[in-house]
Amino acid sequence: MAVSSKRIDFNRTPLRRRVIASAIVIFWVCASAASVAQPDTVLRLGNPGEPQTLDPHRYNLRLEETLLTDLFMGLTTFAADGSTIPGVASSWQVSDDGLRWTFKLRPDLIWSDGQPLTADDFVFAYRRLQAPATAASLAYFMYPLKNAAAVNAGKMPGAALGVSAPDPRTLILELEQPYPHLLETLLYPTAYPLPRHAIEAHGDNWVKAENWVSNGAYRLQEWRPQAYVQLTANPHYDPAPAITEVFYYPLANEQTAYNRYRAGEVDAIATFPSGELAYAKRELSTDLRSSVQLSIMYLVFNTRVEPFSDPRVREALAMMMQPEVLTDKVQRSGNLASRSFVPAMVSDYEPVPGPQYQLSLPERLSRGKMLLAEAGYSASRPLEITLRYISGGETKRTALAIAAFWKPLGVKTQLHQAELKVHFADLRQGDFQVAQAGWIGENNAEHYLSLLISDTGDVNYGGFADNQFDALMAAARQEADLAERNRLLRLADERAVGLYPVVPMYSLGVRRLVNPKLRGWQNTPRDVHPVRFLSLEP
Amino acid sequence: MTRYLSIRLLLTLITFWVIVTLVFFLLRLAPGGPFDGERRLPPEVEQNLRVAYNLDQPLPRQYLNYLSMLGHGDLGPSFKQKDFSVAELVISGLPVSLAVGVMALLIALTGGIALGTWAGLNTGTKTDLLIMGTANIGLAVPAIVVAPLLALVFAVWLGWLPAGGIGGPQYFLLPAAALSLPFVAAIARLTRGSVAETLQEPHITTAMAKGLPRRRIIRYHVLPIALLPVLSYIGPAAAALLTGSVVVEQIFELPGIGRYFVQAALNRDYTLVMGVVIVYAAFILLFNLLVDVCYARLDPRIRLRS
Repeated sequence: MAVSSKRIDFNRTPLRRRVIASAIVIFWVCASAASVAQPDTVLRLGNPGEPQTLDPHRYNLRLEETLLTDLFMGLTTFAADGSTIPGVASSWQVSDDGLRWTFKLRPDLIWSDGQPLTADDFVFAYRRLQAPATAASLAYFMYPLKNAAAVNAGKMPGAALGVSAPDPRTLILELEQPYPHLLETLLYPTAYPLPRHAIEAHGDNWVKAENWVSNGAYRLQEWRPQAYVQLTANPHYDPAPAITEVFYYPLANEQTAYNRYRAGEVDAIATFPSGELAYAKRELSTDLRSSVQLSIMYLVFNTRVEPFSDPRVREALAMMMQPEVLTDKVQRSGNLASRSFVPAMVSDYEPVPGPQYQLSLPERLSRGKMLLAEAGYSASRPLEITLRYISGGETKRTALAIAAFWKPLGVKTQLHQAELKVHFADLRQGDFQVAQAGWIGENNAEHYLSLLISDTGDVNYGGFADNQFDALMAAARQEADLAERNRLLRLADERAVGLYPVVPMYSLGVRRLVNPKLRGWQNTPRDVHPVRFLSLEP
Repeated sequence: MTRYLSIRLLLTLITFWVIVTLVFFLLRLAPGGPFDGERRLPPEVEQNLRVAYNLDQPLPRQYLNYLSMLGHGDLGPSFKQKDFSVAELVISGLPVSLAVGVMALLIALTGGIALGTWAGLNTGTKTDLLIMGTANIGLAVPAIVVAPLLALVFAVWLGWLPAGGIGGPQYFLLPAAALSLPFVAAIARLTRGSVAETLQEPHITTAMAKGLPRRRIIRYHVLPIALLPVLSYIGPAAAALLTGSVVVEQIFELPGIGRYFVQAALNRDYTLVMGVVIVYAAFILLFNLLVDVCYARLDPRIRLRS
């Protein structure tokens, strides 16, 4: 006879109560451990990913720049509002031809280990940056220096580089061509001084925390891979910063960053899911800091191949672009619509909007249809194209909206997605018809326009080539006077927009959440927030 | 037994070599390289990078170089995490992944056995239906759904546990729970069936007839027999848990090796992907080998046949 299992009443055993009781104890212990109070000189920041290096010559990412800005200081540096101010240089002079810059260093400069910092440390650093063995992927940031490209290619010795130190407090930079944006270039890690004594003593291991030497407000305390980078105040930095300790957490996952911010585990995060923007605007309005980054997202046509070798086809498609619809209706994530290729935030420059926007939308539609008909397309022979976009929710919605813009023209658009690496690898090889592309750049128009110069190389993704545009850009680059330079750049800009090699769409919005107790935080166009300007209210 | 062991060991090593070779070439077949990005790299610079990482050599040569490096126990430099070697990264990440895996295994075993026994003792009742229904959901819902829910409830709403990162043991609880759920469900199902079956055995009827207390019957007569199938499941489950934390490590920002795996693959960080694959492969092969050896010890037919 089988025994019915129902007769054994497991439910009455006290075991269950013990389990519940111990679970409660575990939770209580965890809950109390999780809420240990932090002193208010410790700042916990979210960085959008894990740094790949803290060597200023090997870095490649914005999130590394964030850390390096706290660790080092160049000849110039960022002010709290993001503008350029003198760093370790106290003054400088430029020769009349704009080719020779003489910098005077501040007296009594010292490294975080107490060693003196001299102009020699700059000479050492600039030669190391260009040495082929360093394999610095951003060495070209300093190509304005005389012979820099040749030294980097191994065609000239490091001593030929246009940098010299006649005395410990004087640094002379000689340039290849006049470059009025030099002070801005000197803000970046590629222009920092490096501790020659530490690098010569430890080789590639100088970046380890135990060997670390830097000259900024902070020095490296500990780097636990994928967990945090901990910085502590540099005892030799004057004035001493209010925040004595900073933890940078690599928060690559936007949702986790958002959760950790809301759980009070971090004081500021670099971004959060765009879908939470409406909630954040409502419930976290004192924490939300939205701004727009110096950047341009655009569509690029492959002008080497049919059908986009025909300017009429490019113009017809550009006619239908509606940047405001993309940012305000489709994305709604804080991006700023742009009608010009040079972002509106670039200072001292009036951007040139695409000529199509002088027409109303119905006029643009009929002009677009006319252009396509002239180019030989009709209802029986429609234009069929493939639009490439980078994998992602927002980029996909954007691509769908663009396909919808083009539909009234009778254009049939196929969408093709690829992850970021593959997308840009294809673009660099010219393996596309029309694609989403982007450039996050510096505060000068030349930076963006040079993407369209015919000999720029593979980041001129579409292979755009126009002699008149090239000539105007070359003339601008020879000009030492900033106003005249910008006037020539604007002529080049006007020439380019009329040929529609690209269709500008928007500048990237920044959605940050910042603890309202954090003082000194300012929205800046380059989205830099040096920690030495910040403090925490108790 | 020695013969059987040496054959198994040799097969394991061959499998390991095949995995290393496959992954090495598959990685290089993937479009894009470690130095591709949005930013412009002048040809001189790209060439400097290729030389620095030996990528300027022909592929077969690169492969032989890698094997020889591996033979010396060197996993090489990371292409992207430039301040650390692959070995340093693995040493820093592996304990975290192991801790989550072991904690998840403990949760899966205790939770799964308790729930399964409870359901098995109450087959056909509402309790059974509830537990098994929940278990089916647990099996069907992936960690990528469960993990954010757990974070939302226990970290953001209740504030009991951290939403992510690393620190004391409390940081491991949510990831381990999310990781263990499907395994709790699987073990509960196994245990339930096996408990219900054991209850039908004549020796249980005898024990009942003798008037033994119910708890004694369950503890000494039902569970030891009913748990045998669970024991044979622990091998594959342990391998799956120790290597399966890729998703939860992403969601809870845990610094384990699973996170390197995803990021390294996206970055085409060839050496780091290889390093993580090698560690994962070693674990899976090791657990399989252990299971084989255990079976061979328990069942003479296996070792005699070989």
